[in-house]
Amino acid sequence: MDELYAIALFLFVLFLLLGSGVWVGLALMGVAWVGMELFTSRPVGDTMITTIWASSSSWTLTALPLFIWMGEILFRTRLSEDMFRGLSPWLARLPGGLVHTNIVGCTVFAAVSGSSAATLTTVGKMSIPELRSRNYPEAMIIGTLAGAATLGLMIPPSLALIVYGVTVNESITQLFFAGVFPGLCLALMFMGYVAVYSWLSPNWAPKQETGMSFVQKLANSRFLIPVLLLIFVVIGSMYAGLATATEAAAIGVIGSLVLAAGQGSLNWSTFSESLMGATRTSAMIALILAGAAFLKLAMGFTGLPRALADGIATMELSRFELLMILMVFYIILGMFLDGISSVVLTMAVVEPMVREAGIDLIWFGIFVVVVVEMAQITPPIGFNLFVLQGMTEHEMGYITRAAFPMFLIMVLMCFVLIWFPDIAMWLPENMRQAP
Amino acid sequence: QEKWDLPMAYSGSNFHSVTGAEFAKCVTTGTGGDIEVTTHPSGSLFAGGDIKRAVQTGQVPLGERLLSGHQNESAIFGWDSVPFLVSSFDEHDKLYAAAKPHLNELLAEQNMTMLYSVPWPPQGLYFNKEVNSAADMEGLKFRSYNNATARMAELTKMLPVSIEAAEISQAFATGVAESMVSSGATGYDRKVWESLSHFYSVDAWLPRNYMLINNDVWDGVSEQNKNVINACASMAEYAGTWRAKEYTGFTLAGLAAGGMSVQPAGDQLMGDLRKVGEIMAAEWLEAAGETGAAILDAYNAQ
Amino acid sequence: MTAALRGLRRTLDFLYLAAGVLAALCLIAILLLIVAQMVARWTGEIFPGAANYAGYSMAAASFFAFANALNRGSHIRVSLVLNALPKAARRWLEVWCFGIASAVMWYFTYYAYWFTFWSWKFNEVSQAQDATPLWIPQSVMVIGGGILAISLTDHLVHVIFRGDHRIKRDLVDQSFAE
Ligand code: NA
Ligand code: NA
Repeated sequence: MDELYAIALFLFVLFLLLGSGVWVGLALMGVAWVGMELFTSRPVGDTMITTIWASSSSWTLTALPLFIWMGEILFRTRLSEDMFRGLSPWLARLPGGLVHTNIVGCTVFAAVSGSSAATLTTVGKMSIPELRSRNYPEAMIIGTLAGAATLGLMIPPSLALIVYGVTVNESITQLFFAGVFPGLCLALMFMGYVAVYSWLSPNWAPKQETGMSFVQKLANSRFLIPVLLLIFVVIGSMYAGLATATEAAAIGVIGSLVLAAGQGSLNWSTFSESLMGATRTSAMIALILAGAAFLKLAMGFTGLPRALADGIATMELSRFELLMILMVFYIILGMFLDGISSVVLTMAVVEPMVREAGIDLIWFGIFVVVVVEMAQITPPIGFNLFVLQGMTEHEMGYITRAAFPMFLIMVLMCFVLIWFPDIAMWLPENMRQAP
Repeated sequence: QEKWDLPMAYSGSNFHSVTGAEFAKCVTTGTGGDIEVTTHPSGSLFAGGDIKRAVQTGQVPLGERLLSGHQNESAIFGWDSVPFLVSSFDEHDKLYAAAKPHLNELLAEQNMTMLYSVPWPPQGLYFNKEVNSAADMEGLKFRSYNNATARMAELTKMLPVSIEAAEISQAFATGVAESMVSSGATGYDRKVWESLSHFYSVDAWLPRNYMLINNDVWDGVSEQNKNVINACASMAEYAGTWRAKEYTGFTLAGLAAGGMSVQPAGDQLMGDLRKVGEIMAAEWLEAAGETGAAILDAYNAQ
Repeated sequence: MTAALRGLRRTLDFLYLAAGVLAALCLIAILLLIVAQMVARWTGEIFPGAANYAGYSMAAASFFAFANALNRGSHIRVSLVLNALPKAARRWLEVWCFGIASAVMWYFTYYAYWFTFWSWKFNEVSQAQDATPLWIPQSVMVIGGGILAISLTDHLVHVIFRGDHRIKRDLVDQSFAE
């Protein structure tokens, strides 16, 4: 009974601190401190510093600021204009027309950016005005953008996967490769939805593009060359074994600096802004990771994760039932927390459960990313909703409704992953066997 | 009634962790529940590198750690990792007997007591090709994880590349590394036969894991419970050592079944490696000073 | 009195910014270290300990930037309740948030100091090839943690006496994290 009381108190403090608006990283430290004081007689302060030092000075973590920096640099280039110019001639004739530039643009940018909201900002600042001027339905523009931008978290590089990999101690390179096909698959599902919608909708009447000859289309594609080259170098260096995920990030930073210089958008102010922005953002994530590391340790001392894992094991849930429970759990959590926070906050408890159930941790990483992607577009706290609100001045409710079909497609994606796990596992497994 | 948390670095199925779990159970039942020991494998409480300091400063009452990881702090901790000094479990036992008093002294200075210690299977060499002499090793990319392995690479003219444990499979699959020194167990766990072809059981050294307890905690344990813990510890050491020997055979058979060529090193290769061993032993002696010399003298006198 | 306060204000703002710039330099250091390690491997050279130096730079880049990130609103919080409250009540909730946060960070800094002190006293060195005396990189926890603690306290005082904190949130800035 005493234990139950202590656990209740522990949870109460967690919700109190997070809910009242204490910064996530510091709230986690506070909760962990309470847990340690409740459950052990060990020196709390020393223990806290030992774990926080170990987690924050980790080499694998260095991929994080580098990939953020890369995104920051590219954000300040003409990349999104070029992408629109290069992609639109090819996509205009598809059913659904230029709305596909939202999805394909996000997919391409996702391959150089690790974040969902940055993908949204970069692609959206170009595509929203272009699509509006061609009279596409507003809800479709907003919805597809909100949904497709979440690919930034799935297609490598991905901050969520780095954080997940560091937290559960799995290879980040493997996780990155596991994300490639599910990301493309999700993009195709979005595009399929757009096509079907355009056929069925009575008020689908965008301005027709004046036809471009094949040669003109090809000529316009030259704008895509720099970014495709960058993607090729970053992912290729990992695949060829020339670089680890961290080193690929360094290559990416240099590549994007070269690209920015080539476009003439590299000057002191863009350089220093991108650098300072990346420093702050990675510090933000580092603070959460520090708090999470301490919380994970405190949870270990409480014995709670193991008790829960054992409890789940005795319930004899099937793999599918466990995944369904976790999916619903993460969707609810994702309504209130950002993706990275909900991953690190829960992994201490979820990881033993998942390992116990014999689920591959690489595959589970992709599953979790799909689920936390949804958090970006679910109210009341969904960062993509905030960004779109800022960009379009629509109501939150309107944007949420516009993005809801994308949310359903992501739920469908979870089932696709469960039924066809090879979508995620094929590439990393075949990498492992490469000569 | 007390609760002791016992952090361990390796996965729950690893034989060191199994031995530790039995030890914990033995202490819990043996003391009639006076002391309840809970194991935390897979570095779930503290990662390997942090366990020693955690015990030393009382963050946990006890913990298990590969002490040769702390050679930078004191060369004495590396007594079990001097390459090619011993080449069998029996020779290693003798060296252990010689080193034990000095090690206990050093641990006491750091406010810790050793309860028991279990060796890893002997370290062998993994390559992606057939190797018959040190000359064949030249230029290969060699996974190093500490000073000793980096130095070994240097002396055999290989290129040391540092690779995290989590990235081992990946690194070999993509050719970032082409060889490593490790026990058969590591290669078996990581399924390295997917990318490596040859294992030479050169028995380079047998590093040991140590179960350490904080002295403030140890001093507070009743005489009766101390006896129980010591009895559990000697049982654990016996069972763990037996497992290490069994496991050596098992993993080597597993590597062979995976398609690797598993064999002892040829005469030329072994001779070349012993030369490397002599250099490194001399360097270790220099670093370990008088205590190191005392250990080797005691070993040679046996 | 006001002149002294204005001087303090300028000193503190300079401190946060300087630490942020230092953090940015550490980020560049990470980039250079990783490139050096990679180039060394390709050319058959050795750069022992590069990964560890990069790890230390990572810790430094994080800890030095904490305060700067706070002032620019980069650190994530659940602001649902805060935004729903009327202005007067929000002020008291902010006092609570900054109070808790300051307490956590002062606690952290205190123990980080003693942790680093004992690393120095025990002569603790890195277990990897770099063999760095650990108190050197660990002291970034004390300095960076201390600066964040100061900055949180600074905001707390501001909320109590002026009614609001001085955080300026930047949505574009934050978008790169989500
Ligand atoms: Na991405
Ligand atoms: Na949400």
